[in-house]
Amino acid sequence: MENIYKPYLMEVKEVITETPDTTTFRLQFKDPEVAKSFNFKAGQFGEYSVFGEGECTFCIASSPTRMEFLECSFKKYGKVTSALARLNVGDTIGLRGPYGNHFPIDEMKGKNVVFIAGGIGLAPVRCIIDNVLDLREEFKDINIIYGARSVADLVYKNLLKEWQERKDIKTFVTVDPGGETPDWKGEIGFVPTVVEKIAPKSENTVAIICGPPIMIKYTMPVLSKLGFKDEDVITTLENRMKCGLGKCGRCNIGNVYVCKDGPVFNYKQMKDLPQEF
Amino acid sequence: MNEINTIAKELLTSGKVNAVIGYIRYGNDKRTKPFIAQKPEEADKFVINKFILNNLAVYLTREEITKLGKIGIIAKGCDIKAIVALIQESQIKRDDVYIIGVNCSGVTNDFDIDFNAETVAGKCLNCEVKSPKLFDVTVGTLEDIPQGEDKKLKMIRGVEAMNSEERWDFFEEEFDKCIKCYACRQACPLCYCEQCIVDKSIPRWIESSASKRGNFSWNLIRAFHLSGRCIGCNECERVCPMDIPLSLLNRKMAMVTKDDFNYVSGMDVNAPTLVGSYDLKDNEDFIE
Amino acid sequence: MEEKIISKENLLKLCSDLLKNNVDVITPGEKGYVKIKNENEVALNSKTKHTKASFKEYIFPKSEPIIYYKKNQNDVEIIEPKVEEKTTVIFGAKPCDIRSINILSKIFNWDYKDEFFNVRANNTVLIGLMCEYADEFCFCTSVNLSPTSVEGSDIFLLPLDENNFAVRIVTEKGTNFLKSYENYLTPGNTEKSKAVEAAVKQPEKVFDAEKVKEWITGNFESEYWNSVGRMCLGCAQCAFVCPVCHCFDIVDEDYNYSEGRRMKNWDGCQFDMFTKHASGHNPRNDQTKRYRQRISHKFKYYPDKFDEILCTGCGRCSRGCPVSIDIKGIVTEINELAKA
Repeated sequence: MENIYKPYLMEVKEVITETPDTTTFRLQFKDPEVAKSFNFKAGQFGEYSVFGEGECTFCIASSPTRMEFLECSFKKYGKVTSALARLNVGDTIGLRGPYGNHFPIDEMKGKNVVFIAGGIGLAPVRCIIDNVLDLREEFKDINIIYGARSVADLVYKNLLKEWQERKDIKTFVTVDPGGETPDWKGEIGFVPTVVEKIAPKSENTVAIICGPPIMIKYTMPVLSKLGFKDEDVITTLENRMKCGLGKCGRCNIGNVYVCKDGPVFNYKQMKDLPQEF
Repeated sequence: MNEINTIAKELLTSGKVNAVIGYIRYGNDKRTKPFIAQKPEEADKFVINKFILNNLAVYLTREEITKLGKIGIIAKGCDIKAIVALIQESQIKRDDVYIIGVNCSGVTNDFDIDFNAETVAGKCLNCEVKSPKLFDVTVGTLEDIPQGEDKKLKMIRGVEAMNSEERWDFFEEEFDKCIKCYACRQACPLCYCEQCIVDKSIPRWIESSASKRGNFSWNLIRAFHLSGRCIGCNECERVCPMDIPLSLLNRKMAMVTKDDFNYVSGMDVNAPTLVGSYDLKDNEDFIE
Repeated sequence: MEEKIISKENLLKLCSDLLKNNVDVITPGEKGYVKIKNENEVALNSKTKHTKASFKEYIFPKSEPIIYYKKNQNDVEIIEPKVEEKTTVIFGAKPCDIRSINILSKIFNWDYKDEFFNVRANNTVLIGLMCEYADEFCFCTSVNLSPTSVEGSDIFLLPLDENNFAVRIVTEKGTNFLKSYENYLTPGNTEKSKAVEAAVKQPEKVFDAEKVKEWITGNFESEYWNSVGRMCLGCAQCAFVCPVCHCFDIVDEDYNYSEGRRMKNWDGCQFDMFTKHASGHNPRNDQTKRYRQRISHKFKYYPDKFDEILCTGCGRCSRGCPVSIDIKGIVTEINELAKA
């Protein structure tokens, strides 16, 4: 009997502590057959489980162009994330997926792309950034604007360094005023302010944005002023999801099941949803 | 316009209260349902009859209602016992409620049949609070409550007569029916915990599954958490969609606390709660 | 659609044969839908009141394991539960109950097929019975059903008189099922059955589901929602007795430090924990918002997605609601608002 609720078994190969409460896991499938056949697109998510504690929803943070490891990043919030944070290299977790829709990478080809992220919001966007960078020639100008409350809250610090060192993209990292360290060389200011300063051009450009609701709330008017249309701004929605299969009803908002019709939406679709997320 | 409408209207018009919770008719029947009136003209809808079953005190600990300000509540004697218990447990202040006490001659769940000793609600048979003990105003006239066989007490004696194994089997059969809808908890005026123990997940004390273990743990823990507190309104049993005789446990525990500690919940606003206090004369014969 | 006649005596014999063949026969009784031990317990009276709960739990259990796990040091072994392919017959359910399996099947097979549901549904034969009950909570006719609707049944029974039933064989499953009992059946009399059908009192249609859907579409922020869910206590009685409510939760339960199971349990959108995020943020943070979701999901979101109203008009939610919230009344009021 086919069991859609059965997870794949994953081994934790590496544990990276990004910030005091954010961790990244590098995972590999325990079954080599599954490892060969597993495929996903940037933007899709999985249900990660700690057996005995429960399941939790995170995006698959690594790019599908780099299949050696599957990565996921999470912040310690509740029962399952706290249990995940206690795990070590060699432990086994479960993964169900990939679920949901994905970033429209094919529609983005030939265009400029600007990535805007805040705090842990970089995790769901990082998969598409790496995916785009691995196919660099297919895209035009690329801008990455990322900010966090303070230097300690920046995630993927090693990746940020990598991106900043590349000559074929522009990367701007900012911290909130007061969050800088004495030797900080990056930008200082809230993400919306930095976006306004950088003023990425909107013509033939797709913007991908992810971060805390308040950051999105203040960045959207800036993008609007710069000429971005709502259909060209894409985001991924963090919502309470449970089954990931469009059945349990938890993520239902309006006519949409976030786990099936999302989690990637463009801003126009987001505005059409009843505002209850 | 009846006495109740006049009183409720006056309370709202004068601003003595910001809202009145009571019962209104619904459908074609004499059936009633809870209603909250905030405008004086809405007070015309209130009724008092034999079908005012709900214990409206359950709304007094809900933030959506308390944020409205001082609340007037139409309450029968049993409902007032719940209000007293809530005051004893410092969940509401006496000044926050205006109690419209109902002189009650019994209620029933049977709408189509005559009101008599057979159909009157079980809890009414031994009622000591027909005439409310705590109130700001009273309505209604007292009549005799028809006296019938106390079927629940008979059931309790039946279970008491069982040995451990029979008792376990009896409760297992009953609790197997449970679907974990928590209607019992939501309808209970004394289940006001902001986070119920069954909803705590770190750690998981009581399983949420409607499995044998989950059902047993849930129903037993609720009976324990209500021991010495339950005022016997029987709402839990009335609302259970699976007809589990929940009042068996609660009433038995109330009998135990009366016998062992001479305490009856919900009778005296100034009395300390049973589990929240100790007396040097407390029964200790179970410690050896 | 083929039609036959069966006598009451033979219907009981059929039932007795099923029981002898170790088939589970589930019928609506006084204590709800129960597995019968004796053919005389089977429900053949079309005038009885609805049971308090639907038969949903026999096809979508209130609590069931979806995987078992065994931990051994760092390793984990997953054991999959098997759903028994046991033939089950739901005998004598009203059209409002029987229809539920078709409606639920849509979401349980949306792209991903939930075999826990499918195996049970495929092995269940649904025998419907015409309904002559109808009280003030019923509204099947407003949701495209009727007391004589065969939709959703494999076999449908109409009482022709004291001792005989018309047998409408609706699906192939029904045909195959009756192959073993052909000798109990006699040729049908469609004239007589149509006459019986026409004489059944239909509940009055009280709202237009399309207009209701339209109103809900444009009125998410309407003041009306504040009054509707006000007195709701926030239990899940309505969702759990409903034949088509299907929201569920997935939780892990340990037996001990190394073994446990992952359970799929019924859940309800009226619970305040349903949409609560781990961060503490709750997009539906009061009862009126949660009640709005219930009505909207049933009468707009599910119909838009699956072309089915997520309601069969059985009225159980209203009959059982501790505070008498009446879904028929609410949707009728919305219909009035829509007309205005």
